[in-house]
Amino acid sequence: MKADLLAEFETPEALLAAVEELYRRGYRVLDAFTPYPVHGLEQALRLPRSKLPWLVLPFALGGGGGCYGLQAYLNGWDYPLDVGGRPPHSAPSFVPISFEMMVLATALMGVLIFFALCKLPELHHPIFEVEGFAGASQDRFWLGIDGRDPALKRGTTEALLASLGASRVAWTGETAKAAETSEAVKKPTEAAEEVPGAVTKEEPS
Amino acid sequence: MATSHEVSTKPDAIKLDAESAKKLQGIAIGVAVVGVILAAAGYVTDPHRLAFSYLTGFLWITTIALGGLFFVIIQHLTKAGWSVAPRRHMEWLSGALPACALLFLPIVLFSHDIYHHWMSAEAAHDEILQKKAGYLNPTFFYVRAAIYFGIWIFLASYFAGRSREQDKSGDRKLTEKMQNLAPPATLLFGLSITFAGFDWLMSLDPHWYSTIFGVYVFAGAAVSSLSMLALINIGLQRAGLLHKISNVEHRHDIGKLLFGFIVFWAYIGFSQFILIWYANIPEETLFYRHRWEGNWKVVSMVLLFGHFVIPFLVLLSRHAKRHYTVLGGAAVWMLVMHYLDLYWLVMPTLDHHGAHFSWIDLGGLLAPVGVAAVLIARLAASGHLYPIKDPRLPEAAAVQNI
Amino acid sequence: MSTSVPISNEKPVAAVNTDDPVGRHPLVLGGLGFKSITDRVAGISLGKTPKTWPFALALAVSLLMVLGGSLGWLVSQGVGVWGMNSTIGWAWDITGFVFWIGIGHAGTLISAILYLFRQKWRTSINRAAEAMTIFAVLAALIYPAFHVGRVWFAYWMLPIPNQMGMWPQMKSPLLWDVFAVSTYATVSALFWFVGLVPDFATLRDRADTKTKQIVYGILSLGWRGSHRAWLHYERAYQIFAGLSTPLVLSVHTIVSFDFAVSILPGWHTTIFPPYFVAGAIFSGFAMVVTLMVVARTALGLKHLITMRHLENMNKIILATGTMVGYAYGIEFFMAWYSGNPYESFALMNRVFGPYAWAYWTMVSCNVLFPQLFWFKKIRTSIPAMFAISIVVNVGMWFERFVIIVTSLHRDYIPSSWSYYRPSLVDMSTFVGTFGLFLTLFLLFCRFVPVIAIGEVKGVLPAADPHNPHDAHDAHGEKAGVEHHG
Repeated sequence: MKADLLAEFETPEALLAAVEELYRRGYRVLDAFTPYPVHGLEQALRLPRSKLPWLVLPFALGGGGGCYGLQAYLNGWDYPLDVGGRPPHSAPSFVPISFEMMVLATALMGVLIFFALCKLPELHHPIFEVEGFAGASQDRFWLGIDGRDPALKRGTTEALLASLGASRVAWTGETAKAAETSEAVKKPTEAAEEVPGAVTKEEPS
Repeated sequence: MATSHEVSTKPDAIKLDAESAKKLQGIAIGVAVVGVILAAAGYVTDPHRLAFSYLTGFLWITTIALGGLFFVIIQHLTKAGWSVAPRRHMEWLSGALPACALLFLPIVLFSHDIYHHWMSAEAAHDEILQKKAGYLNPTFFYVRAAIYFGIWIFLASYFAGRSREQDKSGDRKLTEKMQNLAPPATLLFGLSITFAGFDWLMSLDPHWYSTIFGVYVFAGAAVSSLSMLALINIGLQRAGLLHKISNVEHRHDIGKLLFGFIVFWAYIGFSQFILIWYANIPEETLFYRHRWEGNWKVVSMVLLFGHFVIPFLVLLSRHAKRHYTVLGGAAVWMLVMHYLDLYWLVMPTLDHHGAHFSWIDLGGLLAPVGVAAVLIARLAASGHLYPIKDPRLPEAAAVQNI
Repeated sequence: MSTSVPISNEKPVAAVNTDDPVGRHPLVLGGLGFKSITDRVAGISLGKTPKTWPFALALAVSLLMVLGGSLGWLVSQGVGVWGMNSTIGWAWDITGFVFWIGIGHAGTLISAILYLFRQKWRTSINRAAEAMTIFAVLAALIYPAFHVGRVWFAYWMLPIPNQMGMWPQMKSPLLWDVFAVSTYATVSALFWFVGLVPDFATLRDRADTKTKQIVYGILSLGWRGSHRAWLHYERAYQIFAGLSTPLVLSVHTIVSFDFAVSILPGWHTTIFPPYFVAGAIFSGFAMVVTLMVVARTALGLKHLITMRHLENMNKIILATGTMVGYAYGIEFFMAWYSGNPYESFALMNRVFGPYAWAYWTMVSCNVLFPQLFWFKKIRTSIPAMFAISIVVNVGMWFERFVIIVTSLHRDYIPSSWSYYRPSLVDMSTFVGTFGLFLTLFLLFCRFVPVIAIGEVKGVLPAADPHNPHDAHDAHGEKAGVEHHG
């Protein structure tokens, strides 16, 4: 997924509606960039559930089992210790460390796999050059369309996004330079009216 | 969403239809009749064995009812929003407590047999038991049992009663009333189940003691009642009676709680075991020594794997907890395991050198279970299937697991 | 940084009936929305240093130097500088260790267990509580590391092949502790960092200087908020919560094993594992309340850390305090019921022996005072909860002291009976650990988002695209209320 065409929305509802509308119109390679996980987007974007749990499971089993084996080897076979008459290989006393190492292995590998799945860390990304994209981590909801999306059409898609309520539409990176001429997408007037903090209602208290 | 295949426009049924209600009560009466006949035959054959088998069966159904009561109290204590319908089903289970009080009477009759170590004359010659006589004496034992049942029946009928009242009036104040009683109720419940566990189970070996024992009994009650709850919800959902207020998300939640309490049971069981095993003090290790003799060793291992390892692995996945057959199967399995757990606690007192399963045990189980089931079935058949005017219904119906 | 939030804004909190079963009380007050929450929280990390902060830091660092001095003295002279003797071989050191580890447990409870129970109110407090966990565990680690005396041999505890062909004793609970506590520190730090990544991205996007952009940019790892990443994030968070829950239980359970696997009356009792866990959560929540009461005022976060948050925590303190009381009671009952003279002696000696003063301090601080939280008035009074939270922490320190020292000071052989008095170095080490904890916590408050910005946004009514919310405008800002920030 490469977000080549980006559109900014003011609310999660507008973003969700836009994603659904684009999907209806045949757009297939979409992504959203939001300050928090907006629920319902995964269905709208047709994203599968994360495979993360299944990917870390082998490490959980390996960490716990391996550590049990290690303890059995160290204290049961290689250097048997008789402490308080307990047998050298005594399963109950190997449980706590095995459990801890299971957790440690799962957590360490979980973090690494999580970052790998998110393709992080990434020192630079052309998306950050888009003006206003900083809002995606604060209070704006961005939609991205991959340049390879079959339905994407330069010129018409921008207008479509604007009609769906996008307050900004922009191309990223190389595509942005190529499209400098068609950058003239205007802010739709409906969005401009929704000024944050506008006094509409008294707080019920 | 995964719920899509279950979406239906039809509203939830508020009552069981007359036919199923009749069938349900019929089954309960059938179990009760068969159980009582078997128990009577068992009594004629081997009254000593039946006494212990009956105690196991009585504790099986009583812990399930108590787990139900605990669930109800905790939902009010935490002002839970997801559990409106499951709460009603747990109210049914806790409604069996008056029957359990009745079912305690045979224990009273059998008590000199079951607890003969400290009830009989031989206790007078035992120095340690003399020290405990202030607590372990028949009169105080019966008085305590009366107090426990008094507390439980009061709490169960208070919560179920207010809840039924709300079905009629829809009064929100009732929810607040129940929430106000919940904190002291939790306290009373915690103390009463602890001491009931000491009295009915721990005193089978009056020299043995373990401070965690009450928590262990509680853990078993939670696992078994949640298993029963899972079965009730699956039954109502599959019959198409409930699909909004109790749907796949609630099933998932019940599955998660069941999974959590299976781990909790293992945690408490392991804590008790490792401390006693490690310190290796004779008067304490004797408890595990008895349960390691002959084929009790097999039972112990079956408990370890059957009550923890296997259900843990099965219920780990999200898919399993949402699946009718997997969750239902796990619930039935856990109910069997809970019986085995109690069997493992009670029966080594009788069968010293190895487990001998007998048909009498079945009588000891089915008789109390059947009698309690008659009451539970009557509650399920006569009342509403969920609290139809609970203020938190919309919240409960909207529950989603990420 | 705003410290000028008018007190009057808090009034509606008390006025609203939080017990109304219909609809949940809002988690964020003052009409804060996506933008103002970001402004408020990011402003603390990116804005000017508040005037009081350097003074607080200076105080904390001077305490930290006390710790450095005490430990330096310990290493140069040996563990004899602590007041232990041959009968009482464990005292303030293990007391301090268990005390700090216990404090840490509340952070994990908030970030993991309350998450699994879908308690949305946790979002405002989990970040600071998790930070508290990590710093408390670091403070705790000081003790096991230094009580060995020759700290440069600490690696002997790990199974590293060596020329003598010897291995650690894996059957010892003290070694279990090594693995449990270091796993706990690592996993808590990872959990914390994963949660911080999106918030560091927010700071990166708002940073006004090149240095801040680079530092927060690196810390955020290039997070873009892509929904694909969010899905993995939520799953990772869930796995961490699922792992941390048994982990936190196991840590204090293993700490309790240090005592309970022995045959010492007063230590060997099976209720110890759950009792220690309940006590740990109890003390940890008390510490969270102490810190939050101060932080929400100092950092201007009263709309995010509301009275409801504090009240809920006080309820958990009440619940866990009662569980601790239950454990005390059962221990007592069983000491009598066991009919074992050693058991009953150990317990009677606690209550009426030379350390009775410590025992009664413990009981009144842990069992009696928290019971005041049954009253809503006290539960929702800032001065009362602040006082009780400190009392609870004192009480929980005494609990560990009572368990450890009173059980040891009466040996099986009366000629070995003894009495323990802490040395000056004992005291300065313990005071110094507060320096370490406070220094780290103050640095955290200044440079790291003290509230999980993304998570709090996620629990706003405006965050749910399926939820009609007419009282909010397009940005989740409640109309008609001025913003502070």
